[in-house]
Amino acid sequence: MPIAPEVYKKIVTAKLYIDECFHEPIDLDRIAREACLSRFHFHRLFTSIYRLTPHQYLTRKRIEQARKALAGKTLTVTEICAEVGFESIGSFSTLFKKTIGHAPNNYRQQEWQKNVQAREQPRSFIPHCFIETCTKSNSQEE
Amino acid sequence: MITRISHVTFFVLDQEKAREFYVDKLGFKVNTDVKMENGFRWLTVTAPDQPDLEIALLNPLEGLGYDPEVKAAYKLLLEKGALGAGVFKTPDCRATYEELTAKGVGFKGEPKDQFYGTEAILTDGLGNWFSMSQPK
Repeated sequence: MPIAPEVYKKIVTAKLYIDECFHEPIDLDRIAREACLSRFHFHRLFTSIYRLTPHQYLTRKRIEQARKALAGKTLTVTEICAEVGFESIGSFSTLFKKTIGHAPNNYRQQEWQKNVQAREQPRSFIPHCFIETCTKSNSQEE
Repeated sequence: MITRISHVTFFVLDQEKAREFYVDKLGFKVNTDVKMENGFRWLTVTAPDQPDLEIALLNPLEGLGYDPEVKAAYKLLLEKGALGAGVFKTPDCRATYEELTAKGVGFKGEPKDQFYGTEAILTDGLGNWFSMSQPK
């Protein structure tokens, strides 16, 4: 049965609520209230639309924010864990490794090395056909 | 034998605005953002479920070796919004339409059912138009 436009709006409102408040201790009851739907209906509709349960989506959002923070901030892993809404450093580390493929500290080391390389050797990131175009640009300007 | 495509280019006249649009509104991830000595900025993003296809958001007026005529042509096409860059896939076109509309993304109209699925047409606001499609 097709989903009515006003129901789409409710589900999207709840998704945007997760996007904004992922760092807070939110649960299914709280998210379903944002959508003005019962827990059961909200869970079923959200999962059917996004192919993820609300909890899976919330976890994915938190891991993604942690990934960005590890790459770009100098907070400790424990501080980042709390900042993105995880209560346990153990479950955070396990989930992060399962999702990203590296432990948080290892991921951070790789990203920081990449940032240094980007500053010192930007050419190493750019396919050669684009480098050639730039070189042509420089020689034309000289 | 060529088996896959790894990079495609979307031309834009403002890379900072492009980064905001593709990352903050569409939810893409920045893969690489580096600048060469001549000012050429190599900015690539990837769609959430497609990390191995880098979309290079390049400014044809800065750092690339195009002659003035070519630059003027790109500028005109982008300013007139005359470039159709591709098709984005979504698991639910109507939900994504509601979400992106709430974020201020411009659409040509509401999603419509086509014989191949549900589709809406959106712009990046930087000269490029896309279909956003939910296949049947």
